[in-house]
Amino acid sequence: MKKYFTKDKWKYSFYCLSHPVDGFYEIRHRDRGSVPIAFIYVILYSLCYSINRLASSFVVNDTNPRSVNALSELFGVLVLYALLCVGNWSITCLMSGEGRLKDISIIIGYSMLPMILTLIPATIISQVIAANEEAFYYILVTLGTAYSLLLMLIGIMTIHNYSLLKTLITLVLTMIAILVIIFCIVMVYSLVNQVFGFFHSIYLELLFR
Amino acid sequence: MMKNVIQKMLLMLLVFVMLASTCYADDVPYTTYNYDYWENIVYTPAAYIPDGKIDGATILDENGEAIGGFVTPNDVYLGKDNHLYIVDSGNNRVVVLNADDYSLIHIIEGFDNNGVAETLKNPMGVCISENEDGFIYIADADNYRVVILNSDYTLNTIVENPQREDNVLEDNFIFCPQKLIVDSAGRLYVIAKNTEEGILVFNENLEFENYFGTISVSISTWERVWRKLSTKAQRQKQALKISTEFNGLDVDDDGFIYASFADTNGVQGVKRLNPKGLDVIKKGYNEHTGGDIGQYNATGSYDGMSRAIDVCYCENGIYSFLDSRRGRVFTYDHEGNLLYVFGGFSDNGAQEGCFKTPKAIEKNKEQLMVADSTLNIVLLFKPTEYGSLINEAVGLRYDGDEATAVPVWENVLKYDANFELAYVGLGKAYLSAGDNKKAMEYLELGMSKQYYSIAFRRYRNEFLVGNLEWILTLAVVLVIGGVAFKKWRNRNKYTDNSADTLE
Repeated sequence: MKKYFTKDKWKYSFYCLSHPVDGFYEIRHRDRGSVPIAFIYVILYSLCYSINRLASSFVVNDTNPRSVNALSELFGVLVLYALLCVGNWSITCLMSGEGRLKDISIIIGYSMLPMILTLIPATIISQVIAANEEAFYYILVTLGTAYSLLLMLIGIMTIHNYSLLKTLITLVLTMIAILVIIFCIVMVYSLVNQVFGFFHSIYLELLFR
Repeated sequence: MMKNVIQKMLLMLLVFVMLASTCYADDVPYTTYNYDYWENIVYTPAAYIPDGKIDGATILDENGEAIGGFVTPNDVYLGKDNHLYIVDSGNNRVVVLNADDYSLIHIIEGFDNNGVAETLKNPMGVCISENEDGFIYIADADNYRVVILNSDYTLNTIVENPQREDNVLEDNFIFCPQKLIVDSAGRLYVIAKNTEEGILVFNENLEFENYFGTISVSISTWERVWRKLSTKAQRQKQALKISTEFNGLDVDDDGFIYASFADTNGVQGVKRLNPKGLDVIKKGYNEHTGGDIGQYNATGSYDGMSRAIDVCYCENGIYSFLDSRRGRVFTYDHEGNLLYVFGGFSDNGAQEGCFKTPKAIEKNKEQLMVADSTLNIVLLFKPTEYGSLINEAVGLRYDGDEATAVPVWENVLKYDANFELAYVGLGKAYLSAGDNKKAMEYLELGMSKQYYSIAFRRYRNEFLVGNLEWILTLAVVLVIGGVAFKKWRNRNKYTDNSADTLE
């Protein structure tokens, strides 16, 4: 367990921020990344997202604080993360991508770092701005999100050793794969439900005979 | 012994039952509510409660005989002469009542037109001129004319078959007036049947001038795409997109016309038309003055937007409109803030204060009155303490008297601690009094971004000015400390390095 959380591994995720191409390359080829750290970043992102929705000033925030549920948001983010990883992996391993599921989950987790690092300061800044000054807040949030998306793109490109065009194509296919996965899950769920219902009614019939 | 215990238990049970059945002061057959900033329904105390009805069957004429129940009453109008006019369409008459005690003054059934006795036929609307002449304008729908009577109920003029030289009116135009209103300048505004072009305006000499306040048809992008894709045959089968018609009129003290219409998008129920016919109504922060927002019925499916059927201008910029889909009365202030919603249907119409087919709304001093054309009565509502406090506070705000409104808003909050407008009112008062911190607190509760920002900017400036020494000192200390720390670390490094080289 300890080897996943060495000081070097923590530091390396920040190195990837400033040197995405080199950084992500070494994650693939020299095992410098860590899945648990990536996982922690995903959870942290979900937390920061909930905090931002809950605590940012109402000047920039139209969310009803009573409707924020950090746990269900965490669940949603984790499901989306899992779908993204599995969807991308299932497409890229058919399209001669070099990345393993491990690498995909690491780079997606690491790319969330800019959003984690900007959401909390943005929330704090939102407390000291008035109307017409929202730009400061939105610039910060937009920059963080944009940089995260850029990192994700570069990361997927690097670990699979793809060209930009191929990366974009696989990303579109990834979205389709995600939809297929969701469809399968829903179908299996409803089928299991019906089977369960069938046996349940047999049980009830026997019970009330 | 045992009997005693049972008796005591029964007694206790009785006491508990009595405690449990809370008795509400506003025991009304409908709910009163408002929408909060996030467009959730917030239930409030009743703003208006039923206060009896006007029933033709109980109104007595001078011989002591009842004048007979109304049949499909379609309009109610309160004149400046304190006479209440009820258009009793089914009986082809207009009943004139005293607005104080609802006793009979006169029944207009016909008039003498140069020696020929003529009658009304299915009158639909009535209004009274605002000047001292007190002319009575009656929309005599099935005779295709507007009849103008003097205040002594003799004939003054008949307006029929409006003409204009150019082809503003179609050749086969049939003038079937429904609702009408006259402004202080004597201009007559008439809603006629099947005229999508807008309201007909007649000048002081009762000559047709032009259409007024046309409602434009809006087509969504999706519909446009769909039309492009469909063939000509398909397009012919599609329902024609025709703009909605106005269906109710009122005029405010400044001569602006309030016209209600059933908005296809459900975001606006009433237009406030200036003399040029442009809509100058103010909408609130959410741009919604069309009644209900996302109403869902018991089964969870969308129940449709509100359909305005009539409007009444109350006072101080407050206006109410009547919704024919769910039988509710929506009241807005001059800024487009929803004040309260009340009213509703009942299945059999037996409950006092519930509608079946609400047709017209009018204000009589404090009272609101709604004509129902199925129940054949005019229902009366009176404001509760809560409702009149809101009206009073909004009125004070309309006059710019925010400071006087403070105790009134505070009283409103005692009844309903969720009333955002009250917090905004209090916040603005604190803002003008200079208490920025308190203003911020209240304006945030009232969810007013605009005024909160003003208060916050002032507070921030105050804070900066008051604590400038501290902030500057802290900054200087931080800079010096940072530089010193860097130097100290570098020196350490240097000594380490020198130690290395020495070894």
